[in-house]
Amino acid sequence: MPSAAELAWLIPVLPLAGACLVGLGLISFNRTVNRLRKPVAWLLISCVGAAAVLSYAVLAQQLAGAGPTEVLFNWASAGTFNLQMGFRVDALGAVMLALVTTIAVLVMVYSDGYMAHDKGYVRFFTYLALFSSSMLGLVISPNLLEIYVFWELVGMCSYLLVGFWYDRDGAANAAQKAFVVNRVGDFGLLLGILGLFWATGSFGFEEIGANLQEAVAGGSISNGVAVVLCLLVFMGPMAKSAQFPLHVWLPDAMEGPTPISALIHAATMVAAGVFLVARLQPVYEPFAAVQVTIAVIGTITLFLGASIALTQQDLKKGLAYSTVSQLGYMMLAMGCGAPVAGMFHLVTHAFFKAMLFLGSGSVIHAMEEVVGHEPVLAQDMRLMGGLRKFMPVTSTTFLIGCVAIAGIPPLAGFWSKDEILGQAFNSFPLLWVMGFITAGMTAFYMFRLYFLTFEGEFRGKDQAIAAQLLAAAGKGGGDHDEGEPHGHLADHPHESGWQMALPLAVLAVPSVLIGLLGTPWNSRFARLLDPHEAAEIAEHFSWGEFLPLAGASVAISTAGIGLAVAAYALRRIDLGQAVAARFPAVNAFLANKWYLDAINDKLFVRGSRKLARSVLEVDSKVVDGVVNLTGLMTLGSGEGLKYFETGRAQFYALIVFGGVIALVVLFGALG
Amino acid sequence: MPFPWLSASILFPIGAALLIPFVPDQGDGKQVRWYGLGVALTTFLITVAGYLNGYDPAVEGLQMVQRVEWLPRLGLAWSVGADGISMPLILLTSFITALAALAAWPVTFKPKLFYFLLLAMDGGQIAVFAVQDMLLFFLAWELELLPVYLLLAIWGGKKRQYAATKFILYTAGSSLFILVVGLAMAFYGGGTPTFEYTALMGKDFSTKFQLFAYAGLLIAFGVKLPIVPLHTWLPDAHGEATAPVHMLLAGILLKMGGYALLRFNVQLLPEGHAQFAPLLVVLGVVNIIYAALTSFAQRNLKRKIAYSSISHMGFVLIGIGSFSALGTSGAMLQMISHGLIGASLFFLVGATYDRTHTLQLDEMGGVGQKMRKMFALWTICSLASLALPGMSGFVSELMVFVGFVTSEAYTLSFRVVMAILAAVGVILTPVYLLSMLREIFFGKENVELASHSNLVDAEPREIYVISCLLVPIVGIGLYPRIMTDTYRASIEALVQRETLAMGRVIHTPGSNLIRQASLLQAPALPG
Repeated sequence: MPSAAELAWLIPVLPLAGACLVGLGLISFNRTVNRLRKPVAWLLISCVGAAAVLSYAVLAQQLAGAGPTEVLFNWASAGTFNLQMGFRVDALGAVMLALVTTIAVLVMVYSDGYMAHDKGYVRFFTYLALFSSSMLGLVISPNLLEIYVFWELVGMCSYLLVGFWYDRDGAANAAQKAFVVNRVGDFGLLLGILGLFWATGSFGFEEIGANLQEAVAGGSISNGVAVVLCLLVFMGPMAKSAQFPLHVWLPDAMEGPTPISALIHAATMVAAGVFLVARLQPVYEPFAAVQVTIAVIGTITLFLGASIALTQQDLKKGLAYSTVSQLGYMMLAMGCGAPVAGMFHLVTHAFFKAMLFLGSGSVIHAMEEVVGHEPVLAQDMRLMGGLRKFMPVTSTTFLIGCVAIAGIPPLAGFWSKDEILGQAFNSFPLLWVMGFITAGMTAFYMFRLYFLTFEGEFRGKDQAIAAQLLAAAGKGGGDHDEGEPHGHLADHPHESGWQMALPLAVLAVPSVLIGLLGTPWNSRFARLLDPHEAAEIAEHFSWGEFLPLAGASVAISTAGIGLAVAAYALRRIDLGQAVAARFPAVNAFLANKWYLDAINDKLFVRGSRKLARSVLEVDSKVVDGVVNLTGLMTLGSGEGLKYFETGRAQFYALIVFGGVIALVVLFGALG
Repeated sequence: MPFPWLSASILFPIGAALLIPFVPDQGDGKQVRWYGLGVALTTFLITVAGYLNGYDPAVEGLQMVQRVEWLPRLGLAWSVGADGISMPLILLTSFITALAALAAWPVTFKPKLFYFLLLAMDGGQIAVFAVQDMLLFFLAWELELLPVYLLLAIWGGKKRQYAATKFILYTAGSSLFILVVGLAMAFYGGGTPTFEYTALMGKDFSTKFQLFAYAGLLIAFGVKLPIVPLHTWLPDAHGEATAPVHMLLAGILLKMGGYALLRFNVQLLPEGHAQFAPLLVVLGVVNIIYAALTSFAQRNLKRKIAYSSISHMGFVLIGIGSFSALGTSGAMLQMISHGLIGASLFFLVGATYDRTHTLQLDEMGGVGQKMRKMFALWTICSLASLALPGMSGFVSELMVFVGFVTSEAYTLSFRVVMAILAAVGVILTPVYLLSMLREIFFGKENVELASHSNLVDAEPREIYVISCLLVPIVGIGLYPRIMTDTYRASIEALVQRETLAMGRVIHTPGSNLIRQASLLQAPALPG
């Protein structure tokens, strides 16, 4: 019997087969297939479920000490060029496989509840399976080019899912923005891959690393060129993992259904960038300039995300900026040359952030019963409050998520974030300061979200606030509840059904416990990914170094939580008065998301439109103008063209053709 | 004697077209369309049978050769054959034409004439790819103009006369270059004039002659491909054509330009190619960016897709100029891939126009809710067009990129600049294609449009046509060797020939005319 690793190709293929089957059904027998809701959901969940079982078998083998498995075949060839494709299973990949399939299954179960009333239910599940397949393919890619293939495919799934509710203008714009911004990153990634292939003759991670170092040492490539190539490749992860300045698409992508935000835009796809950087460590490691750049970009991102999250009123947007910030932490770890720490944070973050997003989905689902299907209202925290009474499971798990992300021991976020901060402290003290301050901000904004949503009085029935929000969003009163008269709206929200509550409860377990796998004195996680480094870390571990740093992080997190309690739970401090009013510029700066969207819009969106329009002008006036002018001149006058336009041009065509024949005959006679 | 598959695939549709007047038909096209479809399908089967029985992909030279003296006094012979450069395009032609016959189902205006022209074009286009005699090639090239002209002029949109006239002037004018160069090549070096490609390949043209001949042919084929700034016939022609004609224009006609560049410019004039190749690359990059920008600004759906075709053909130029087996192979694959993807997009444009009765993007919007299957098909084909992995466009563009970047014929700085500029297309393509999708399908429903009774979802025939095109698109995307292996040997031989010629050019100082122009100094190696 083949080992699980040899069957790993089935892991992406199973969901793909399911998605193709349903997708073909949707196109050929739309009505029938759309009615088969539950069977389709079961089919696709079992496809992904089977992939999950296989993934765990692969992980178990890796834990038992199996080495990497690689299976390749010749995919394209021309001349001396041969391109291999296939799959590769190693510890890093096995961890990601297990992570992605677990969260995908949970999100699919959750979606059964969340999307129950949506007319695109079947399409949604198809996209989910398609995404899972692409993401899993990315994880087991053996070389850079195959990663690029799946990289684009997850981007496409993200496009389809963000634009899922395509009748909403916001979703349409967000989907396009997500794809285009990611293509900007892919532009660099593609050029980087090409450049590295030119420099090293390979697409494989280790080979590129070794050959590049050799080439630089041998002098055939200058150090600067190598750094530029590495940074070009890094543009891909920058876009996909929402790093400054290419993070702008991620908050907008919240227009997609919330399960998507949890699966794609928090736990898996956005982590692909971090994963790729981890894969590329052998390439990046020898170049200090590359590492510093990655660390600095990570730090800017983590601070930017947290600072904008401070002022968000939209629950999902708040979480989205929090994701941006946490991805920044992961990148910082990569820049510090600590991929294990970064990957560990990726794993813990995937669990608690998926849970937080699913929790926010549960809240939004409940709010929609009260305020109607209008995202402007259902997602705004000014209309929430006091939901703990109505939604015990959601509020409890959300609170666990907040504690975990805030970095309070022994929950998951503490261990992983602290390891990153510890690495940063040793490598880049200045960046550590930023990461440290941001840890406090993280605790503050997360508890702000929690208190505004779940504590206090329920404000959902406050028509004045609702009208104000609608006006601010530019939507006239009343049109938000089209086809759904007020009479149908509930007075207060209800806890969501088991399909949605169960995944929340399941995710709460790793959110609390998984950090214990990565304690610095005995990190099982590090031992799996990099036994050598794990031993080194354990050896160098000293309580004298660990306790002050950990204590400081816990202290600043507690301070952040304390501030949030004082401001939003006890209402002792009015931050609006005390801070926002006193520093209006800062407040506006944050509320306008550092003005980056405005700059992008002005510089790139309008700039490119203007350029395109002027090129078209040139094309129709100058290039085509010359053609028409020539045409006119050859025909003698404008009358000539009219002559051809009145229908006797066929005659002309015959003349041309006849002329050709005549020429042939003439030539024949001469010859 | 083996069965003459190629001659059969050329003569059968033409012969069958001549019989159309005798097909019983009420005048509404309901009978003749079955006849047309049957003939087109049979032609496709003939080419497939020829491929399976007479063609061996491992052979680099001509196969299925058939030579019959026709007019010995003119030096004219019926000479057909296929190698790796022709065979895939012959298959593409018969395949797209068969689908176009199915796409022409709703044509009710003069259906007999329509199918007559369609089938005549089928044979003419296969002849362009299959003939092995330059005079014959010229005749086939001209012969195919006439049906296109009439198809445009009779069944086109409002400005059809203008578009058709422009098309015929452009192409007929430029094809004079083919004739002149062909004659010059036939007579070159004295002796009995000959038009056979194989004989011409054996001739030792002087470098100067090659340069002039190359320039002339480049203009002729550049119009067809098209190369900016010789492209302005295309948006007009495409803007006015009906869907089936569209599919043929984008699917096959543009490929004639690329094919002819490979066949004549590269194969017969390799030393000219060694000098002109950098220009091809530059023109390719201009094509990609210029046409992508104009496509972005276009508000007319047909013209938008037409410009996107021009943009995609830029990769063919870069691949041809890349001096690498991989890049040239990529150019070949891009022609096939664009033939399939372009045909599918233009078919969808036609199908959408039948429903919305407008091509202006400003007048559309939100129709995705009423036409879900149409929306899905559009999305899939647009993603294919923006080179999504798993579909053929990605593989071909990637091959061109990798081939060009690793090519040893160019200086590093030239490769870097050109690769970066070409990669800008990677950003621009989704910008215009996704904007287009957004404007047609996303957003609030356009109430006026949605209330239209014509606005129904895709019918099975339309889904079938697109599915037929998607099968090879996805097939090539998943495993490109199913296509590249059919022409690999020929392309490698071709590249070897051009590389040798490049070596000769570099080692003969003073023989090159264009050295003075700094732009064209890009070929640097090999020493």
